[in-house]
Amino acid sequence: MSEQLKVLTANDLAGGQVVFRTETGWSDRYADALIYDDALSADAALESARAATLTLADPYLIDVAAVEGLPVPTSYRERIRALGPTIHPDMGPQAEGGVLVHALQQARGAARSSGRLGLIRRK
Amino acid sequence: MFHYDAIDAAMVADRNAEFRDQVQRRLSGELSEEQFKPLRLMNGLYLQLHSYMLRVAIPYGALSSAKMRALAHVARRWDKGYGHFTTRQNIQFHWIKLSDTPDVLDYLTTAELHAIQTSGNCIRNTTSDPFAGAAAEEVDDPRVWSEVIRQWSTFHPEFTYLPRKFKIAVTASPQDRTAARAHDIGLVLRRNREGRLGFEVIVGGGMGRTPYIGATIREHLPAEHLLSYLTAILRVYNRFGRRDNLYKARIKILVASLGAAEFARQADAEWEAMDRPKVDLPDLELARIRASFGLVPFRTLPPRSERFEAARSDPAFARFARNNIVAHKVSGYGIVQVSLKGIGEVPGDCSADQMDALADLAEQYGHGEIRVTHEQNLVLPHVPLDDAPALHAGLVAVGLATPNINLVSDMIACPGLDYCALANARAIPIAQAIGQTFADPARAEAIGELKIKISGCINACGHHHVGHIGILGVDKKGEEFYQLTLGGSGAEDAAIGHVLGPALGADKVADAIDTLVEAYMAIRQPGERFLDTYRRTGVGPFKAAVYPDAHQA
Amino acid sequence: MLIRLENDHFHTVDDRFTAVGDDEALPDSDAVILSLARFEAEGTALLAAGRDVGVRVGPADRVEALVDVLPQLALVALDFPKYRDGRAYSTAVLLRDRYGFGGEVRAVGDVLVDQAWNMVRCGFDAFETTVGPNAWAAAARRYRHVYQASADNRAPAFAERATKARDPAARVG
Ligand code: HEM
Ligand code: SF4
Repeated sequence: MSEQLKVLTANDLAGGQVVFRTETGWSDRYADALIYDDALSADAALESARAATLTLADPYLIDVAAVEGLPVPTSYRERIRALGPTIHPDMGPQAEGGVLVHALQQARGAARSSGRLGLIRRK
Repeated sequence: MFHYDAIDAAMVADRNAEFRDQVQRRLSGELSEEQFKPLRLMNGLYLQLHSYMLRVAIPYGALSSAKMRALAHVARRWDKGYGHFTTRQNIQFHWIKLSDTPDVLDYLTTAELHAIQTSGNCIRNTTSDPFAGAAAEEVDDPRVWSEVIRQWSTFHPEFTYLPRKFKIAVTASPQDRTAARAHDIGLVLRRNREGRLGFEVIVGGGMGRTPYIGATIREHLPAEHLLSYLTAILRVYNRFGRRDNLYKARIKILVASLGAAEFARQADAEWEAMDRPKVDLPDLELARIRASFGLVPFRTLPPRSERFEAARSDPAFARFARNNIVAHKVSGYGIVQVSLKGIGEVPGDCSADQMDALADLAEQYGHGEIRVTHEQNLVLPHVPLDDAPALHAGLVAVGLATPNINLVSDMIACPGLDYCALANARAIPIAQAIGQTFADPARAEAIGELKIKISGCINACGHHHVGHIGILGVDKKGEEFYQLTLGGSGAEDAAIGHVLGPALGADKVADAIDTLVEAYMAIRQPGERFLDTYRRTGVGPFKAAVYPDAHQA
Repeated sequence: MLIRLENDHFHTVDDRFTAVGDDEALPDSDAVILSLARFEAEGTALLAAGRDVGVRVGPADRVEALVDVLPQLALVALDFPKYRDGRAYSTAVLLRDRYGFGGEVRAVGDVLVDQAWNMVRCGFDAFETTVGPNAWAAAARRYRHVYQASADNRAPAFAERATKARDPAARVG
């Protein structure tokens, strides 16, 4: 089995909004997130995020699974964090829409430990 | 309404200056996140799932129209146009920026509002009776005593770094609308046979993962010794409460491990040894605080309002009057409860426009006073019955006339996984689904009083332990599941609920509540509330209804 | 750095005390600070020899153990292993208000400038800190008024108000 896929996330220190590590910096959009497929580079990125104490709060890595070609956080919590409150689809990053947002909104269940596929049930 | 004097205003201004400086030091790197976090928490600022959340105190749950408008302004200018009223007589703004917070706090002071000690391991905002000054049965005005406690506990140098948070409730009515027995300290004001005011002192209640109903350690503490006695309790707790385990740090664990009698002995010994005159509030100051609440200029009205009675011919108003208006101590007045539990809405949420509308309505019809309840509703405490129909029409216009106070759809729900970083599961969508299930107001009324309380995790912010039906979100291998408890109560007959059975999937919860309600309707005796029936029959019939396939125990 | 509060004035002082660990040899001369446990074993002899002795009291220690010898102690050092551990505030209040201790009450350990006002109000008058005396004084004096009585005997708001009620010309605020 291949390695657990990871995404690096944090909150912006001054603004508080959720941000994701991208190829070049940080973005509010989960769709921009860089997917780490080896633990070493993920951990190194986390270390450098921890050092960025002037711009970031609480950086950590989340597990994602490739589902039908899309990287989906394996836990409910992280999907909601990437989207915004489920009760207000007009708030948070989800307001922008897009394929990945739609996929995350449709995702059911969780695959926290197994990385189980078929996470997304499209109705 | 209570108003700040120059000293109160200076206290808050000094605090804001201090926090502005701390925010600056955090942003410049002088303070680490670890050092800063407890400081920001003591100013009500959390980092939540999506952003910072600012929790603003509503001392003793009392708002004026001006304060309500200030909250509306914060919602519009610095948030996304709404706020969430909580079970703790606070309001939470879910989308605040750290860098804006000092400005928000400065703005709030213009309306005598603050976020001081709304989080952190200190003495929090004191809960009080939303019907204070309006309820006929109260022996004194609990707001006066809550304000006494507010001042004493604000920046208390000895009790700012307690083992854990500390919550006090004050009520002065036999009917407990504060959940006093679920607080770290519950104070029930009474008169003894000689007519002297005193407090029943209840210690060690609380929810979280180990819920307790508090134990009475004093039947009648003379009211004038309130502050010295509180100091004694807090000192024993500060010294001997556990600090090695977050989950065992509340005073309830200390009281339970010592036993209430031994805890009382230690508190009494501390109290006896203390220089009480130094700590207790002088009569003069008590009188000043009492006077600063002022008097409501009630009019002399006949007990029966013809306009009110005539309006009852409108079934919508009649239903609203039955469920949302209760008797006032002054003839011709009523206490009007405004439900924040519209069917399909988010329990406790209120938009900026609704806040402004309420401020106007309160000014027009209710002496400019608004209260916040621990059940996440609002109250206009002093409304002439003559004006109730017009007020009702005004509430209808802004979607705030849901006639469901104390009914099945009047649920408490914490923010849950939609906002909260600690959550296991969402709470709000569950509340919305239950609301839809019981959308028919006639059926809801036929069911009668039923208190459903929902928490997204075992911290129990949604009071599920004391719900007639409690719903607790749990995480089963990463999936949202919900455990039901029955038989709790947060009122004067306080009790912790019992788990009904295995947790249910999110899509099963509303149906299960429906099943429980039908089971109750089938077996209730005349006059019995859901809770009464449960207490009479025990869990058997309810368990059989929800888990028909389970083996007989 | 050691900051002392004397006559309403915060200033840096040289520390004439040596903090001695439980396993360290006692210096021959000098004022020393010992843990409560070591003091209970060796303190009487040192005091009898006329040495200046201070006792370091941990948050879980019961200060009641010192009541009889307090008049002979030069200082009591109250330890903050973590600044969020607030037990030492109660200990300080007891030392001052209950047991009338007039010597130095020193804050040691994780001593944060944001807690200067808590410490001063609870009766501390010496602070081991990395912050300079001006910053410390500013933080300690952050609040122009106080709501409740504590060991510093500052007049609480209710006393200020009573003064003003008697003499409306007196300034409050
Ligand atoms: C930022 C979101 C929140 C966080 C992080 C949070 C955290 C907590 C925690 C950790 C506890 C357990 C305390 C313990 O057992 O020692 C707790 C209890 C409680 N919280 Fe919250 N809470 C949040 C929001 C709320 C809201 C929205 C309400 C009101 C609806 C609320 C009211 C309460 C109440 C009433 C309790 C239980 C009473 C008690 O034992 O203290 N909290 N909260
Ligand atoms: S009960 Fe849990 S999920 Fe709900 S607000 Fe409290 S901590 Fe968050």
